[in-house]
Amino acid sequence: MVALVIALALFFDFTNGFHDTANAMATPIATGALSPKVAVGIAAVLNLVGAFISTTVANTISGGLINEGPSGVLITPTLIFAGLLGAVLWNLVTWVLGLPSSSSHALFGGLIGAAIVGAGFDSINLSVLLSKIVLPAVLAPITAGLVSFLATRLAYKVTKKRQREGFRVGQIFTSSLVSLAHGTNDAQKTMGVITLTLIAGGFQKSNTQPEFWVILVCAVAIALGTYSGGWRIIKTLGKGITEIEPGQGFAAEAATTATILASTHLGFALSTTQVASGSVIGTGIGRKGASVRWRTAGRIALGWLITIPAAAVVGAIAAFVAGAGPIGIGVDAVVATVIIVGIFVYSRRSRVTSHSLAVEPTQFVRPKKRQKSKRPSRGTP
Amino acid sequence: MIEWGNFLLVLVGSIVGGCGVVLLFSLGLRFAGPETDGRWRALGVICFVLCGLLIAAGVCLIIPAFAPFFASL
Repeated sequence: MVALVIALALFFDFTNGFHDTANAMATPIATGALSPKVAVGIAAVLNLVGAFISTTVANTISGGLINEGPSGVLITPTLIFAGLLGAVLWNLVTWVLGLPSSSSHALFGGLIGAAIVGAGFDSINLSVLLSKIVLPAVLAPITAGLVSFLATRLAYKVTKKRQREGFRVGQIFTSSLVSLAHGTNDAQKTMGVITLTLIAGGFQKSNTQPEFWVILVCAVAIALGTYSGGWRIIKTLGKGITEIEPGQGFAAEAATTATILASTHLGFALSTTQVASGSVIGTGIGRKGASVRWRTAGRIALGWLITIPAAAVVGAIAAFVAGAGPIGIGVDAVVATVIIVGIFVYSRRSRVTSHSLAVEPTQFVRPKKRQKSKRPSRGTP
Repeated sequence: MIEWGNFLLVLVGSIVGGCGVVLLFSLGLRFAGPETDGRWRALGVICFVLCGLLIAAGVCLIIPAFAPFFASL
């Protein structure tokens, strides 16, 4: 059972990786600052590195949300298994739809649903749910959007039109920073889940650090997921909401980074995905002449609203079935596998690959003057 | 309990950090980027360096182990 949970947790980590590549790399890919393959490569390496850097977040996964211990529910590997199923399935559904939804919320939702079925509503700490998850989820994108809006205005006020190409270089640094921050946060959520499972299964003492092999496999899983690239979500975030110019991309990335760093430093756990989406919308409002596709933005917001409940429902159903004992768990596993394979087969009908996202370097700034003043393009007579 | 004070801090910190990086980088481009006459180049380079330092401060927030290294600079 414990082995099954760990395998599923690692698969969740993988989906987390390819779901969230977009947070850091959608804008540099959209502006052509980085080619798609290079971008996901950088993101993968930084996620790998980030996972090793600190392990402080790893324990917060059970930090009060689900009442545990003598007073509350004793979380069992079976419940964690059911919760993870909810998270993985919801992550894959939103991926197929190209929705940048929060992987962390999917995980929390799944675990909440499973805990409710396993131990009733009392097992959920509602005030913690509200103050630690729901409220930051509302405020974080607004904050990021505001910062991004202001930063975009600033960038366009200060620079001349032809200087804005230079923002591409800056984008590489800011987006790398987002990737690194992501690695330090998200890989640890899985580490936390695996450690929780090991403790619950009696393989590890409670209140101990994650084992080294746990850190290693989690880091590798999220890096692999990141490298495989969630092109669908990158497309939505990079091109679906608004057309992004290099200056906007830089401003949005800077806003994302600043918001994530400021809030994690002050102990707010928030969703990288929601912050990044808020930034992109903010930068769309901030540039004159840019338009925001509110339909797409609305779809994304709707996705956020239903992420926790939807993952919770799946987690609850899985927990209910798993309650029937080993047979139930087997049924869960088989049904989930069928659904996952089904989603992958469905996704192949409309493929979105790195090639469909490649950007011509001169798409945004017409190179009339540039050819004269700077390097003439090779190959022209 | 919702910590509104902390949230305000996050808001201010994000605006200062995010806009600071963008402002410095923009000024760098303005003074040392293409289509400048070179007179203000040094100022532009200083802006780029300051922007780099601000980003480095961000890295320190992610990687606490790096903080002493940057503090010693």
